[in-house]
Amino acid sequence: MKSIKYVLLAAIVLSMYACSNTPTIAELTNPKAALPSSFNFDQLGLKAITTFVNKKQGTTSTLYGNPLALKTAIAGTNQIVAGEVFALVTWKQQTDAHWFGANIPGNLQQVEVVKSTPTIEKPLAVSYARYEGKGLTLNSDTLNNQDRIKYILSQKPAIMP
Amino acid sequence: MNNPRKTFFSKRTILFFTCLLIIFIIIQFIRPEIKNPPVTGDLQAPAEVKTILKQACYDCHSNETQLRWFDQISPLNWRVAQHIKEGRKVLNFSEWGNLAAGDQKAKLWEAVNQIQEGAMPLKDYEMVHTSAKISANQLTTLKNYLLGTVKPSVYNDTSKINAADKQYKKWQDNQLSPDNLPVALNGITYIPDYKNWQPLSTSERFDNNTMRIIFGNDIAVKAVKNNNIHPWPNGTIFAKVAWAQIVDKDSTIHTGAFLQVEYMIKDDKKYASTGGWGFARFKTPKMVPYGKTALFANECMNCHRPMKNEDFVFTLPIKH
Ligand code: HEC
Ligand code: HEC
Repeated sequence: MKSIKYVLLAAIVLSMYACSNTPTIAELTNPKAALPSSFNFDQLGLKAITTFVNKKQGTTSTLYGNPLALKTAIAGTNQIVAGEVFALVTWKQQTDAHWFGANIPGNLQQVEVVKSTPTIEKPLAVSYARYEGKGLTLNSDTLNNQDRIKYILSQKPAIMP
Repeated sequence: MNNPRKTFFSKRTILFFTCLLIIFIIIQFIRPEIKNPPVTGDLQAPAEVKTILKQACYDCHSNETQLRWFDQISPLNWRVAQHIKEGRKVLNFSEWGNLAAGDQKAKLWEAVNQIQEGAMPLKDYEMVHTSAKISANQLTTLKNYLLGTVKPSVYNDTSKINAADKQYKKWQDNQLSPDNLPVALNGITYIPDYKNWQPLSTSERFDNNTMRIIFGNDIAVKAVKNNNIHPWPNGTIFAKVAWAQIVDKDSTIHTGAFLQVEYMIKDDKKYASTGGWGFARFKTPKMVPYGKTALFANECMNCHRPMKNEDFVFTLPIKH
């Protein structure tokens, strides 16, 4: 009796499997949120510091930092030291097609990079660069740079025991 | 003139079908008992929502099962009985009152998602019980009902802020991590290195007011890079971390207190019974293993199963 049930079950499972389509890589990943490979983000050697969602703008961001940046961020002194690298990646939000109840990253909007590097003239210089759009092209407008640096440095890391 | 071979065959055929008929009649006496235990605390929901669930789900997920004549024919009813037994075990709208408020909420979101993914009602049941099929309009009714129950996180929620601050201070002092590595009931050990992995995606969950990062280990990241994720290679590990939400005055949602970390470890042989994935969940900064028995992984699987075509993975990884 048991074996009949299993044969029946196997037949049904098999037929369901045969009828289901294999999803493509584009369907299995999130191509519109992807960073262009030419940006070489993975070579910055950064770790996740935190994530946040701006409901007014409908954006979601992940803040990354090198180990030194993470360390000073956890200490919470808001005092930047030489050798820190932060990168804030921001996407438009989209609803999660697989889960009603979730919003996930959609179109890539921008990447902001803050670096603290000692120069010959100054022991500490903080640089800011903003790369925009799908192709991450550099925007050389410097209008809000100081505010953005402050904003990025003021983020509290997500608690990761 | 008689053809002897033909008579031989028709005789055999008759014999064959007679045997089948006898077997069929005999198995009618082998019938599972399907009882309706008392309804102890039925689901409370608006009438239009309840009507839909009653019509499509109550046969297997309540104590008000209504069997049609064709459900009672053996061997069909063996399968029907099995479905009812398993269905009631995982979700029973007639014993809804036994669930904590948070669990009720989570089950309802899960239910609507199972409908959206086409996983429920079970396909073979739906084929026979055509009236159980949920239309697009009915699905919208269910979704709108859930959206109406959402309570967005608010600014200046002091209890959430305090909980996060308390954890944060301990974390700064290196006092937050557990002293030893807890082990889940299915033998999976807590992996503290998750925080050094790469985020594959993030998720803002408005169904339960949490924030999440989904991390992947090196094998996972490499697999994404090489488009080698169907199926994910053995050795892949995902870690999904969940935090409470803290909203600032500019309506930005930040991560609050750490709630849990969950793992999925790919080993198609070792974890063959759960889709090739080893599941484990560790709660609170103490990393208390989730589950009362090793069977807790079935709970994970039941919700991840509609993602079978995606190797049971929800997350759409972002290439970095
Ligand atoms: C023919 C019987 C049957 C019907 C009808 C049915 N289910 Fe199920 N359901 C099951 C069985 C069996 C399981 C357990 C394992 C599985 O997923 O196959 C299940 C599992 C579930 C789960 C996972 C529960 C958990 O937490 O583990 C949810 C949610 C669910 N069903 C929702 C629904 C909803 C909503 C409907 C109506 C739209 C429905 N089901 C109709 C049989 C049924
Ligand atoms: C109620 C449904 C549900 C249950 C039950 C569930 N998950 Fe998930 N899981 C999800 C969803 C939805 C996602 C997608 C990410 C997100 O939005 O949280 C996910 C994602 C994950 C991920 C990241 C990889 C992926 O598939 O996207 C891991 C790891 C994970 N879950 C582990 C577990 C473990 C371990 C359990 C059981 C202890 C479990 N899950 C139970 C719904 C569920």
